[in-house]
Formats: sequence, C-alpha cells, structure tokens
Amino acid sequence: MTRPLWAQPIETLAPKLRTGSLSPVALTQACLERIEQVDSRLQSFIHVSSAALEQAHHAEQEIKAGGWRGPLHGIPVGVKDNYLTRDMPTTAGTTAPGISFPLRDSAAAGRLRNAGAILIGKTRSHEFAWGNVTPPVRNPWDLTRVPSGSSGGSGAALAAGLCTAALGSDTGGSIRMPASVTNTVGLKATFGRVSRDGVVPHSWSLDHAGPLTRTVADAAHMLNVLAGYDAADPACQAQPTPDYTKALGKPVKGLRLGVCRNHFFERNQEDVERAVEQAIGDLAAQGASVHEFRLPILEYGLGAIFAIELASSTAYHDVSIRAGRTPHFQPDVRSLVEIGRFVTGADYLKAEQYRAALMEDFRKVFETTDVVLGPTTPITAWKIGEWTVEVGGRQESVLAASWRFTYPYNLTGLPAISVPCGFDRQGLPIGLQIAARPFDEMTLLRVAHAYERAHEWKDRFPDL
Amino acid sequence: MNGPDLDPDRDVLYRDILGIDFTPERLGENLAAFRDILVEIEKLRRLDLTDVHPAIIFEPTAPYRREGGE
Repeated sequence: MTRPLWAQPIETLAPKLRTGSLSPVALTQACLERIEQVDSRLQSFIHVSSAALEQAHHAEQEIKAGGWRGPLHGIPVGVKDNYLTRDMPTTAGTTAPGISFPLRDSAAAGRLRNAGAILIGKTRSHEFAWGNVTPPVRNPWDLTRVPSGSSGGSGAALAAGLCTAALGSDTGGSIRMPASVTNTVGLKATFGRVSRDGVVPHSWSLDHAGPLTRTVADAAHMLNVLAGYDAADPACQAQPTPDYTKALGKPVKGLRLGVCRNHFFERNQEDVERAVEQAIGDLAAQGASVHEFRLPILEYGLGAIFAIELASSTAYHDVSIRAGRTPHFQPDVRSLVEIGRFVTGADYLKAEQYRAALMEDFRKVFETTDVVLGPTTPITAWKIGEWTVEVGGRQESVLAASWRFTYPYNLTGLPAISVPCGFDRQGLPIGLQIAARPFDEMTLLRVAHAYERAHEWKDRFPDL
Repeated sequence: MNGPDLDPDRDVLYRDILGIDFTPERLGENLAAFRDILVEIEKLRRLDLTDVHPAIIFEPTAPYRREGGE
C-alpha cells in the first residue's frame, strides 16, 4: 500500500522528486493541507511560511531544468523557532516585550535552503529552549500528553506528517527526548559538527543543532547538508565531512556494543527497559558483541549540567534580568533564568572539571566498545500538567527523570541518536539511544540503521 | 542578640552578591526553586577533582580562525 505523501521519508521521496515523477509543489501542498487539517489540535507550528509554495515552485522549475541539488531538494522541513530565518519571524518561544531577533538565516537554515529544501514553517520551542514540555504543543500519539521538549514542536509536527524533516536544538536532550516520545529519529551530532550560528543561545558549551527525521537514512541525508566547518560558530571544528549515507546498510557483525549498567539501567519504566533490552539483544543477534560496564562518576552529572546550564542561561539573559523582562517569561523559565545567579563561579568550574573527567572516562570506555546503547528516556510521554511520574516504583519529578540519559552526552559532546524501539502498553513510543566516539557519526548511523531496518517501528503513525 | 536573619544589611548584601534586586518574596521563591538543584551541586562539590583541568581551554588563536579551516 502506498503511503500518503506526508507520511513518506526523504529516502523514498527524493528519487521521485529527482526524476520528476513527484513535484515539490504537490509534496509541499500535501504538508500544508495536513497542517491545516490537524495542527489546530497539535499546535506544533508557530508560523507557517507564506513563501513555502513559491519555494516549491522554484524547486520544481530547477529540477525540471536539470538542476537537482541533492536529496533535500524539494523536501519540506520544519525549523525550530530558535533558528533565525530570513523570511520568517523568530521568537524563541517568548512573548516577553523588548526581545526581538533579526530576519537572517542561521547557518543551518542557509545550508538547507542551499540544498533546495522548502522551509515550510517555524515549529514551537519551549521558551528559550528551556524546559521539557513545549507548551502548548500536544503529542500526536496521545493529545493529552506532552511531546517533550524543548524541540517538541518539531517532534510533534514530524510525527504527524506536517513536514518531512525538522530542525531541533539539544542542550540536555532537546532533540532526542522529543524524538523518543514521538516515534521519530533525533540526531545530536558531535559538539562542533553542526554550526549553531544563528541559533538563539541557551548554554554555549552544551547547545547542539541537528535534525529530527522519520528514518535513520533521512538523518544521514540531513547531516550531509548540515555538517561542516563554520567560522561563525566558535565551537565548530574543521573535521572531514564524510558522506553519511555510506554508513547505511552495513552489517553490525563484529561491532562492540557498550551497555552502561549503572545510571542508564537503574530506574526505568518497565516497558522502556524491556524494549531497550530487547533492542540490545536484537543487535547482538545480528553478530555484535555486548560489553557491560559501569561509570560511577555519572552519579555527579546532574549537578554539573545544572551548574553549567543555569549559569550560562543567566549570563545570556543578564540584560533581560536587569531590564525587568523576566517577569514576562513563563514561570518555569523565569525561575531557571533567575536562579543561575545562585551558581557560584567555583561551582561552574567544578562542573567543567567534572566534564573533563567524564570525557576521559568515556574515552576509556571507547577503547573496548564502538557504541554505547541505552534508553533515550526512562519514561514515555507524560500527561500535560503532570510534574511527577512513577519510575522504577517511586515518584520522581519529570524534570529530573526525562533528561537523565541524554545530558551525559551534552556534557561530553559525544554524538548520540534516538531511534524508535517500540511502544509501551499504552501505545506510547519508546526510544533507543546510541552514542559513539567524537565525530564517529558513521558508526552511530550504521548501528542505528541496522536496528531500524530489522523492525517496523518507523512505519507506524499516530491516528489523528 | 543579632543573628543573620536580623541583619538589616542582609538584603543589600544579597542584592550585591547576586547582582539582581529581587524582592524578598521573589528571592524566597527562587531559593525554594534552587533547593533541589543545590542538593545535586553539593554532591558535585564533594567530588575530589583537584588534578583535573576544566574542560574549558583558553585558546588565543580563536579570533584568527578563518572561513574554510583553521
């Protein structure tokens, strides 16, 4: 059975767009109609581009004239509302007075535009990319639940077929968590792999830019366009940029899968743990070996990321705090932005020392493993307005629980991807997280793809 | 006996240390919000990392980097 256009991934759309059997106009129109039909319930877009169809017509003419630019040519992409764009307003999720952002393309938006992508609209972000719920966005798998955050608009829009791919940003898990709870793929490449120029800063040394996609192959196509050196981002590194699609379809036989048994497996919802253990077993059955290890230092990570993230965010918002704008922020974001003042300079530097120690411990792990596997989040999507959840038999705040497995890879800057790995008994998606050595996105994608193609999770869609 | 709670300069001191003129109510709300985070930061403080150089590395060549590579 042929899927509707809005449900198809880049990997199947691109060949049709290239040969002209599918028009970018028809594809963009299908997404726009889908937005019209369902986004009043999801609230995933804050702005839909009035120029989307014009971009699509332009792409159609270019392709007809033999100017196909590559697999993203004619593909509708949602852009998180903290990426600057030249033809759509950016709000970073805030309505506070006195704050505005320029109309110019961020590096990522510019790269997508140059690749021929259709920037179809801006997806909602939790205010200033803080937070993990992204109000007022709803999860398409259950409209009473959150899509997580802060890239919840991108996750919800993609899962519901309102765009073919999306951009997110990830400071403590904000690409991977929404991907995990919406049955999509979220890729946070190595810190320095993708330019953050023109992404509204949240915490300079933790922020990552990257894609959410429907499949692992689509993530490779997006990374092919997004990766590369950019002097405008001081963290960007001039590392070689391979063709990431070459990682696809390769067997995992002989690869060494690391499984960290403390921290990542100490407290999970039962269905999450079952699905992830099954996924590890499935990859082992394909010929990979499993190497269990422990990293006791992870016990200290939450304090470290809080110290860095809070202090950085407060520094960024210093002018707003002094100008008295923070009372106009959402209450949760206002608190987080203000309390960074309580983090001392010594605490901040202790966190940076911790970070170096954690990076070193992971380096040692990667002497005997090729990737590290675990759950993306210990919980599936929680109810809107719910602040505590039951995890491993005890109540825990969603703020503490949701990002527990994702923030270690922001502290270390290691590449990490979330791929769908099943559903819980309530029909809510579960994510498998895979991490790798710095700039080894090839192995990351190889393992993710090997898992994905042996399962049918990516072919399931929410009933809207 | 004057204790810290009765120090008339306390609010001024808080303001100068924090660099923000929080109202007493707002300061109380923020301290309450920070309580759980402080538990985690206190845990981090107990870790002996004396010999570990912070991940931040000062790089004086950064302003000289140009488009296309270093």
